[in-house]
Amino acid sequence: MSLFEHNRPVGGPFEKPKDDVHRLGSMQQIKVPPPRFKDTDVIDFAIVGVGSAGGVLLQRLARAGFKVVGFEAGPFWDTERDWVSDETGSHKLYWNDLRITGGEHPLALGANNSGKGVGGGSVHWAAFVPRFHPSDFEVYTRDGVGADWPITYEDIEPYYDLLEQEIPVAGPAWYPWGKPHGHPYAPHPMGGVGDTLIEGCSKLGIRVSAGGPVAILSASHGDRPHCIYRGFCIQGCKVGAKASTLITHVPDALNNGAEIRDCCMVSRVSMDKDGRADGVFYFDAEGKERFQRARVVIVSGYALETPRLLLNSACPGHERGLANSSGTLGKYLMAQAGNVILGRFENLVRMYKAPPAHALTEEFYETDPKRDFARGFAVQTVGPLPIAFAKQMMASKGVWGWAMRRNMMDYNHWSALGLLGEILPWEDNRIELADGRDGRQDARDRFGLPVAQVTFSLKDNDKKMIEFGKNKVMEIMWAAGAGEVVQESRYAHLVGACRMSKTPDAGVCDKFGRTWDVPNLFVMDGSVMPTQGSANPGLTIQALAARTADYLISQHEAIFTSSRRDMTEPPCRKSLAPPGTFTRGIPHLR
Amino acid sequence: MAQDQHKESLPLTHPATGRPLPKREQPGYYPGFSTLKQKRYWDAATRKLIEERVSREKAIRFFTPEEARTMEAVVDRMLPQDDRIKERRVHILPEIDDRLYHDRLDGYRFEDMPPDQDAYRIGARAFEQMAQTLHGRAFHELTVREQEEILKSIHQAKPQAAQELWKQMNIERFWTLLLADVVTAYYAHPWAWDEVGFGGPAYPRGYMRLEEGEPEPWEVEEQRYEWDAPADTISDAEEMHAQGAGEHQVHSGQAGTH
Repeated sequence: MSLFEHNRPVGGPFEKPKDDVHRLGSMQQIKVPPPRFKDTDVIDFAIVGVGSAGGVLLQRLARAGFKVVGFEAGPFWDTERDWVSDETGSHKLYWNDLRITGGEHPLALGANNSGKGVGGGSVHWAAFVPRFHPSDFEVYTRDGVGADWPITYEDIEPYYDLLEQEIPVAGPAWYPWGKPHGHPYAPHPMGGVGDTLIEGCSKLGIRVSAGGPVAILSASHGDRPHCIYRGFCIQGCKVGAKASTLITHVPDALNNGAEIRDCCMVSRVSMDKDGRADGVFYFDAEGKERFQRARVVIVSGYALETPRLLLNSACPGHERGLANSSGTLGKYLMAQAGNVILGRFENLVRMYKAPPAHALTEEFYETDPKRDFARGFAVQTVGPLPIAFAKQMMASKGVWGWAMRRNMMDYNHWSALGLLGEILPWEDNRIELADGRDGRQDARDRFGLPVAQVTFSLKDNDKKMIEFGKNKVMEIMWAAGAGEVVQESRYAHLVGACRMSKTPDAGVCDKFGRTWDVPNLFVMDGSVMPTQGSANPGLTIQALAARTADYLISQHEAIFTSSRRDMTEPPCRKSLAPPGTFTRGIPHLR
Repeated sequence: MAQDQHKESLPLTHPATGRPLPKREQPGYYPGFSTLKQKRYWDAATRKLIEERVSREKAIRFFTPEEARTMEAVVDRMLPQDDRIKERRVHILPEIDDRLYHDRLDGYRFEDMPPDQDAYRIGARAFEQMAQTLHGRAFHELTVREQEEILKSIHQAKPQAAQELWKQMNIERFWTLLLADVVTAYYAHPWAWDEVGFGGPAYPRGYMRLEEGEPEPWEVEEQRYEWDAPADTISDAEEMHAQGAGEHQVHSGQAGTH
């Protein structure tokens, strides 16, 4: 048989590991320890959801020596066994269970914006990690719309610095927007779509950041290899080059005694007679309902499942849902405008190569008094694979039949840029329970729990922003030399619905995610955001989680026993970062 | 369902000469390119998945035989493959059937839509009723042109018959659901990757020629040819520019792009 026989894998098959060993990327392996805690043990922290926020919290709290268990509704992946270089084969990475979506501009859910499995959405994010701008934290003060955050940019800045090293982030040495900063790893080489953005922006005199900031390795880092530019970022990175908390923080959490219960769906936060949470009810992998006692509960289930769990946890004294005395639980849900602008070029682009996320501009991020709307947008590269592109052709050009076949044969001639625009928080953009009450639908999951019913509508400011932003991206696409430009309306990311606030009447939790109503119940994930900027939320979610972990640790025993609310900012504990974080220099151009 | 029951349209033609073009083993502008020939460079999990996709026995378990007959004809027009030789056509309906049979959802349902399974059953009945009302024959017995006219009216959300059935759901969302399922099945197949010049799975090897649309050493250069869609079809002329329609568009729920 010839050496070049097609069926024989190059290098032979990968070694099959033992059952308790999970491969995380092509080099890293982690031995999953046997369960450490029993349901009857009183653990210190029960974390619901091991995603972007939950993964970081678990790692920090374990490293600080606490008894901590992370509950994850999806599986603990073995990336070599479970993940594939294939669009449809990656469907299982998403939260595919039923949700109801409506309103004037219904959001597509599922694959678009939520993950299921250890690592959560960070498993399938495109991994753009721009910071929020200082202005994002005071939108109401500056523009009279939206809301102010109860924190400032300076409060979160040390955590941006820290998480950019832990991830670590690849990007330019000088990032000019917001508060200028550098990145620890070098920017990535350009692909065809990045060249489109650079070409179009250069013609129009718009500054571009090329090669980042992205949470994708441009050089090897410990047991994680560098990017191989295969383009399957949002199908889960088998290489281990793209960061997810599964490979950046979960291994260190397990090494420090954390326990993860995967395929365990938390159904209810339990309350004791004194108005404190005393644990969580959950369905285990066999579908059996169990109860874990805990001294503090942190809900990190993202912007739909977090409010859903708190609503499903309604009980005497909390009839409208847990932590909902303000009436804001489930409200002020946000998604970003994510219109995709597609341009056809005479020359080939082959946009399946290189990460979808590799160049962007934030030149239009801030409020511009010359425009007729508040706040702004970013423009980013997008690299749809064939199925995603076919759906974009369907939505943007209305093609089917032979026209679909004809347009798809030109797949390699197309380039795609994405708008990422700030939609403001509105009270009636919301999540409720599909419990059949008050005219709502009645839909249940396999455990009999009402699912989330989402209502979303754009307001005047949002529509003006989208119109302006969409036209600006089309202008860039034309300037890059496209002979045909079309666009598809869509939305990206979900945040809000359990927002943090300065006062108990205006939100669900305080600036550390501690709910206003229940002293030992925390919310920490994208749902705490009062506004969202035009930056992808992943980095900010992880930075907020690291800060809350520092807060919990700095409170010592009081966090378990006292209802007193200490609002002192904690010190940023670099000592809790995973091993290998501080071995690289960061360019700090001033 | 045997392939030879599928209704054939007229052949593709050459625009300049009007001469019929022969059916191809591999349509598209990348002659000789084969992603499957690269499979020894793929990781084991991906190779197993794709090999199963190509070779799997195709069963219909969700649709009734009558529904399947109608929907096969619908799918043949939504994504026509008359330019392919019969042995190299992608089985689309069994993939949709499999999703519905196993209740694999995309994670959401619009509040003005029934569950996906109900939507398909309503749709199959409505297509059949439209064929009977308008032409007095079953949908699969209609001419290609007649079938396409019915589909076009659904695409435009203006059905000429079976209005009572279509009223049971948001007809634009049904079109999106159906076409999204159809293209998902077709463009998941390695033969479709070869057709559009997509490099396919690329782990652990990766790509190295990232710019200027350059092919990898194992990819091929584009070689375009001209073709006109069959004379008895209208779908190639159907291009409804949704550009600017913005708010009214029905979202496809595709995988997140950023």
